[in-house]
Amino acid sequence: MAIIRGCNLPEDLYYYPEKHLWLKPLGGNLFRIGLTPIAGKLAGGKLNAVTIRSKNIGQEVQHGKSLATLESSKYVGPVPAPITGIVKSGNDRLAADPNLVISDPYGEGWVAEIEATKWDQEKAALLTGAEGLAEYEKKLAAAGISCG
Amino acid sequence: MADDKILIIMTSGPDTPRRCATPFFFATLATAMDYDVTMFFTIDGTLLLKKGLADTVFPKEGGKSVGEFLKEAMDSGVKMTACTASLELHGLSPEDLIPEVKMVGGASMWQMAEESKTVLTF
Repeated sequence: MAIIRGCNLPEDLYYYPEKHLWLKPLGGNLFRIGLTPIAGKLAGGKLNAVTIRSKNIGQEVQHGKSLATLESSKYVGPVPAPITGIVKSGNDRLAADPNLVISDPYGEGWVAEIEATKWDQEKAALLTGAEGLAEYEKKLAAAGISCG
Repeated sequence: MADDKILIIMTSGPDTPRRCATPFFFATLATAMDYDVTMFFTIDGTLLLKKGLADTVFPKEGGKSVGEFLKEAMDSGVKMTACTASLELHGLSPEDLIPEVKMVGGASMWQMAEESKTVLTF
């Protein structure tokens, strides 16, 4: 576990810093995707809804296209796919309790699972490990973002 | 495959502030779902596009102004169009409206409706 600018960002995950998403390799080409505490903070710390795009389940989504949407009183916007792949599942529990994304971002608050189809081409854009987190820290500092 | 189109027709205006946040919110949300979203303003809705006016309309006391909802929608990629005839109704000219608005005739509304998968009216 690493604490970067007050934000818990485990070193063993991959990060898509543009939208503050994390990816956890589950074996093979399968990845679990969720939001970092930074995303939760930027959305105002309390969510009204997290809705998985159900029509995407079983379909290939391109990098950057909408996987899900976040709604809060402060923010409305997409959770874009950080990698291209086939959406295998979405976290159904978020429909009843969207704030799992805030309270347990790396556990019960995951958003979707994707089977990557362009991992070799796309992984270079993601950050991981101590070096990646140092890079992430620079981006957060430049944007004046912290979780404190 | 092109993203599906959605058309939101906005007829509510500054006289009914509580009806003026949700249409923009739904529009922004639809772009977050990768829909191609156009709002068409007519009747009193057009007044919300008058320069500066939306900033003075508050759907909820102490909450965000309609101007903020409008900006969020435009930032997310929602296209804004307004009915030329509704300008006449209010004695406005195109220059009175924010520059992001495209003026279109009533027949364009029918074309947009025909091309859209979903049409919502507020």
